[in-house]
Amino acid sequence: MSATGQGAPAQSAMADREIVISRVIDAPRELVFEAFTEVRHLSRWWGPAGFTTTTRSFEFRVGGAWDFVLHGPDGTDYSEWISWTEIAPPERIALRHGESRGDPNAFESVLTFEPDGAATRIEMRTVFPTKELRDEAAGKYHAIEGGQQTLGKLAAYVTEIVRKGAEG
Amino acid sequence: MMAAMARAATTSDVFNAIAEPQRREILVLLRAGERPVTGLARELGMTQPRASKHLRVLREVGLVRDRKAGKQRLYGLDARGLRPVHEWAGGFERFWTESFGRLDAYVQDLKQARQEE
Repeated sequence: MSATGQGAPAQSAMADREIVISRVIDAPRELVFEAFTEVRHLSRWWGPAGFTTTTRSFEFRVGGAWDFVLHGPDGTDYSEWISWTEIAPPERIALRHGESRGDPNAFESVLTFEPDGAATRIEMRTVFPTKELRDEAAGKYHAIEGGQQTLGKLAAYVTEIVRKGAEG
Repeated sequence: MMAAMARAATTSDVFNAIAEPQRREILVLLRAGERPVTGLARELGMTQPRASKHLRVLREVGLVRDRKAGKQRLYGLDARGLRPVHEWAGGFERFWTESFGRLDAYVQDLKQARQEE
């Protein structure tokens, strides 16, 4: 798996409120970028395997929003509201994740698309503005903060212990 | 996103159980194999009643199991109890890692479709 969650070193004060996920995709960046611009594309890949979406409305422009329901594989529905704060084809998209219009607990991610030879490196950097909002997001997404916080170490420790437990 | 893990009160909550450093030390020791409470107390430099108390909390949340072996009781790791922590910690990251995996596959399809046009 080429994605990494905590690749960025904890250099800034921001690092402990941030999650970075990246992946190299073997395609030109115009094409990778395009997959973010239309609901017929987004609905084909948004969410882990088994998740589907039902779109209520979609308007890809700064200030516009994607209002949809995310259906989990266990039948749970999640109301989702994605709004775009910056669109710079084919390099950069900034968006806010929320549950509805004006969600006070929405948080922002910045997606960057960089050429990597003939491929494209996509990176999503999510910064939680406060500890409280991060905790809110954790409740919803079970988010782990990257950087120095102990949860990162705990997760690695837990992965190890579960693996050893399964082997033993 | 991903079914919320209900958080129970103090001792029955695995998150609280492992927030205690000495309890984490016990878990680390138990990775090496089963031990009696006396051995744990000695290795961690704590009194036996204290070690017993920690073990009781860990057993209640499903991180430790015990069994009788002759005259003594042996404590061992039951790592299945840590799964909620693992799932909680990995959630956001996994959501997006998997989404990007699907994005990759989808973009490959797009690329091929464009080449055929």
